[in-house]
Formats: sequence, structure tokens, C-alpha cells
Amino acid sequence: MIELIGSLAGEITGEARLIVDIAMFFGLLVIVAMALNFQYGNAGVPNMGCAVQVIVGAFTVSAITMRLTFWIVESAGIKLLPYYSDFDWVYNNQINVHVLVNPYLKEHPMVAISLLLFSMAVALVLGAFIGWLMSLPAIRLKATYLMIVLITMADTSQIFGRNIPQISGGTLGVFVPNVFAWYPGDRGVITAVITLAIGLVAFFIFRTMLNSPYGRLMRAIRENEVTVASVGKNVVGIRRNILVFASGITALAGVLNAFYFSFVVEANYQRAWWTYWPWLMLILGGPGNNAGTFLGCALVVAMRRIIIYYKWFFDQYFFFPISYFEDILLGTLLIVVMIFRPSGLIPEKLLYIPGVPYGRLVREEVKVDWRKAPRARAAGEKPRWMFWKR
Amino acid sequence: MIPPLLMGAIIYACLITILSIGFTLTYLTAKIPNFAHGTYAGIGIYVSYTISKIMGLSPYIGMPLAFLLGGAISVAIFLLVIGVLQRMGGGAIVLTISTLAIQIFLTASLNIYAFWLREVYKTYSMMFMLKEFDFYIGGYPGVFPVTLALCVVTVIVLHYMLTRTKIGVAMRATAEDPELASVLGINIYRVQLFSWFLTGGMACLAGAFLPMWFQSNPTTGAAIITSIMAGSLLGGFENVYGAIIGGFGVGFSEILLTYWLQGTIGTWIGEYRPLIPMFFLIAILLLEPRGLQGVYERLLATKTGERLIRMFSRGRGV
Repeated sequence: MIELIGSLAGEITGEARLIVDIAMFFGLLVIVAMALNFQYGNAGVPNMGCAVQVIVGAFTVSAITMRLTFWIVESAGIKLLPYYSDFDWVYNNQINVHVLVNPYLKEHPMVAISLLLFSMAVALVLGAFIGWLMSLPAIRLKATYLMIVLITMADTSQIFGRNIPQISGGTLGVFVPNVFAWYPGDRGVITAVITLAIGLVAFFIFRTMLNSPYGRLMRAIRENEVTVASVGKNVVGIRRNILVFASGITALAGVLNAFYFSFVVEANYQRAWWTYWPWLMLILGGPGNNAGTFLGCALVVAMRRIIIYYKWFFDQYFFFPISYFEDILLGTLLIVVMIFRPSGLIPEKLLYIPGVPYGRLVREEVKVDWRKAPRARAAGEKPRWMFWKR
Repeated sequence: MIPPLLMGAIIYACLITILSIGFTLTYLTAKIPNFAHGTYAGIGIYVSYTISKIMGLSPYIGMPLAFLLGGAISVAIFLLVIGVLQRMGGGAIVLTISTLAIQIFLTASLNIYAFWLREVYKTYSMMFMLKEFDFYIGGYPGVFPVTLALCVVTVIVLHYMLTRTKIGVAMRATAEDPELASVLGINIYRVQLFSWFLTGGMACLAGAFLPMWFQSNPTTGAAIITSIMAGSLLGGFENVYGAIIGGFGVGFSEILLTYWLQGTIGTWIGEYRPLIPMFFLIAILLLEPRGLQGVYERLLATKTGERLIRMFSRGRGV
């Protein structure tokens, strides 16, 4: 890793590229998965609209930061090709960005870094705003309604990106300025390092919040919201705040993703990738603790990137694109984990304060499964595998 | 002569109605929204494709096969995934996530099947319509009367089943209160199995008609889930009769509203057609989260509603 970071001016090839790729995607997805763990694992808010927040981050870069960059570069005296109409925005984009803007950013590192910080700040605000908008219809209702609304919103956000070229170039996509042009080495390495650093900061923010009284309040809402409401807490307001806060953090992943590829196109932000994979990571690792999220994220990302990296090898044996096989594999994995390890690879540790006799305070909950009861009475015990007679 | 646009709207509305009824039934008996419901329709699309394009028969021959195949897949999903997770005491969110995984699994399988068809039969199986395999009655394509009849028959049979037969009453009892129903001796597991078979079969059957009028690809099924959910929510989400009205309303307005908006605002608005069910969904949740059922119950609580009840129940001794 040290050699990788120190590999200034060197081309990164082969296995090292795979490591950088895995590190980058781990950093990106761990931000999304941690935010999801914050929402679902700890507060019980089933946010199925992660893709919307990620896409908002990416669109921030392509629609706002890019215009700001163009404005800065033009006021510095460099003549850009016209970019005002839909057509010019897409077709002059490549020359504008690669030929005219990137050399300028290479000479002015402070401008580039402030652009990165600016886009992250804007994405934070816009992501939080979108989270608030998404919470409006259904945050008061049952979790099912919230899931339905959020999952449909992911598709809708893509429709806007596809049909308004001024946002992200429609179906063709646009290149975005390379804010790491000043870095002499490989752009992938510096992006990965910065993403991992932001992921670390996000981890400490989430950990601090979860260990605070507010975090305990969140877990109390997850366990029983009626009880929390009965002691005078505003359950709906807290749930909305959690969604808004985590949405803002999730949008950061979109910004970093856009800068890693230097390219934004709506097709990159499908619901399946940015909503389903974080959920898979969360369930696989174990909802409710960050260690599980890290483990699940590392496993899934490593698996996906290795499959993609050796795509040429697998493609010899399959007649269809390997991504569908990957879908089947990971879909099956989620269900297998749900059935055989319902609490994930690393189960959540419940809060434990030394000196409190929990054994006496909390009796084991006796759960009567009423669905099983009449069957057991009527037919006695049957072997588990005879499911058709149940 | 009915204009083709209206015909298309009615066909689409009928199919969405059938799908919405199935979605609602699943929600009632299993208490989860089944995100894989639209993908059952995708399976139906490929049953039709296989029967007509590959085997050269009329796609109508494949309809019973589509029903049985959809039912079998749905039952397999229930036996292998949903039922197991329910017995383990998984919550509604966990079960819903598992249906999302199933949706991704099924969509990927359909894609692979389409690639397999391309590989073996050298046909274009990614984006197609099957209009040329349809028959014509007096200038009308056969799919129009058949879907209309199918929708009406489904509604009538479902009404008869839910009110007159033992299994239908058991289903309603399970939907109302599973614990109480099991105390009365209803085998909830068997009722759920039956309802999953019925909904899967119905969805697959509806999907088999889709390529006869609309362009279809492997992800069509996953895409129409928004319309299905909007229809179900408009009907109240917990009411089968509401889903009939809601599904028809959403499906009908999705096509006609797009056409009307294209005429008044501009053709570019056609790209935003998927926003219409989304708009319905959000409007319903903001205005009346219980949909038409909530409106109906609110109406019954007023003076006019009481008068209406008295008017309709005269002579029945209610």
C-alpha cells in the first residue's frame, strides 16, 4: 500500500490496479453502507433510496461544480468553447474539460482542492434536502409505505438525468473536471486515499453519534417506537432527522464516485447497484454494528471487483454478460445469509453496562408462534424437510 | 371503431388491474409488499415469446402454461424463501428485502434466458413485440377482447371465491387476523401457499399479454412494479376491491394522461411517463394514505353515507 501511495508519476497496472479499485469501491460503498447502518441497523428506518442520494451527489458535480469550474477558468482568461445550449454542453464537453480546464487545474492545486471541498459541501446540503423531500410523503406511515416510496424514487431520479442534458449530458454522459490533476501520480490512488479518509471521518462521526444519548434514543425507537413516544419523544421528527442526516453523508459517495471516473452518466447509478448492494453488505455483515458493515462491504466489494477484473476469463465460458451471473450469485447469497445467519456474520452486541444485573432485570421473552400452534396440535411433530405437509 | 390509443390504454389498464389485485392479495396474506411481483409478468412475457416466436404457435396456447409456470415459481419462492423467513420470525423489512433479492435474481435469470435464446435460435430476444402472432376479430386485434374478458372474469371469479368458497373465506380471515384464524382451525400455511400460487399465476398470465401490444424486454416486468404499487395504494393497499378500481385507474390514466400532456405541453413529456404512477403514489400518501378505501370509509361516516347505506340495504335486512 505504501508503495502504491508513493508511486508518483508511475503507471499503475495489473494487480496493483485491482487493489486500488477495490480500495476505492470499498471507501465509496462503506460510506453508503455505514449511513444505511445508521438508518436501518440502528434506527430502523428502511431507506431503500440510497441510489437517489448517491445520484444527487454525482449530479452536483456534473451540474453545479462543472459550471463553477468553467466560470473560474473563463474569468482567469482562458477561452472555452460555448457550453450554454444542450448540444454544446454535451459535444464541447470533452474538449472543454480535457484540453482547456484540466491543465489550468494542474497549475492551480488550491482551486482544484477548493472545488472538491465545494462540491462535497453542496452535495451534503443537497443530499440532506433530498432526504427531507423523500421523507415528506411517508415518514409518518408504516415502514412498508416508506420503502415503496423510496424504491420508486430511485428510478425517477434516473429519468431526470436521462432526459435533461443540462444535468449530466443525458444518455451520453459528461466528463467532469479532474480535481486531482495536480497530483503527479495516478489519479486512482489519490482518489482512493481521499475516499478512504472521508470514510474514516464518517465512521468517527457515526460512532460518536451512536454512542451518544441520541444513538441510544435511535435504538430505542428501533426496538419499540410506541414506548419512546409515550415518554414524550418526537418519534417522527427523530426518524426524519436521521434520514436527512444520513442522506447528506450518502451524497458524498456520489461526489467521490464522479471524481474517480471523471465521468457522470445516469446509467451508472442504477437502483440495483447503489441500493441493493449496500443492503446486501449490511445484511451480510450484520445490521446494527459498524464492524459487520466493514466486513460485509469488504467481502462484497472484493467479490464484485474480482469478477469484473477477470471478466475476460469468465466470458470464455458463458454466453451471456457476466454481470447477470453476478446478480444471481449475490441475490442467492443474500437469501442464504438471511436464512442461515439472520443476524449477519458479526451479530450486534447489545449495550452492556458493568454492574447492572441484566439477568434479573430482563426475562427471556417467551414467544408463542400462533401460526405453528394449530399444526403442531393437529399433526404432532413432522420432519423438517416435509415442507409440503406443513 | 375504438381508436388504437384507447384500446392500448384499456389493455394496459386491465393488465395492471390483474397485477394490482395479485399484489394486494400477497400483501394481505403475507403482510409484505412483493417487489418481485412485476417480474412474474416478465416471466409471462418470455413464455409468450417462446411459444410464438420459437415454437411458432399462437401465444394464446401458452396462456395456461404461463399461469401454471408463474404459480409454480411463486410457490417455490414461498416454500424456499418467504415461508422459511416467516417461520424464523423475520420482520416485514427483512422479508421485503428478500423479495428485492428475488426480483434481482429473476430479472437476471430472464436476461440470461434471453441471451440463451439469442445464442441457440439466433433470434432477437431483447426488445420485441408479438403483434403479428395475434388473431383479428372484425378489425380488432384479439388481445383487446381477450384481456378485457380476462380482467372481468378474474374480478368475478375472485369475488365469488372470496365470498362463497371455503378457501376464499379462509383467505379473508387470514388477512384480517392470522392468529384468530388459526385458532378457528384454518391452516394459515396452506392458505398462504394457495394465495401465492394464485397471485403468481395471475401475474404471469397478465404478463403473457403484455408483448401483444407493448414493446417488451427482460426488464419490463421490473419497471411496471411502480404502476402496480400505485394501483394497489390507490385502492387502499388492504382491499382487493379497491385494487380493482385503483389498478384500472392508474393503468388507464398512465397512457391517456401521457397522451394528453404530449398534446398540450409537448412531445418531450412522453419521456416522463414513469413519473405518472410515482405522482399518484406521492399524492395518495400525502392526501389520504388509505387510498380509496379511506375515502369510502370517510364517506360512510357522513350523513350522506348513512342515507346511501339505507338506500342500498333496503329489503336485505341489514
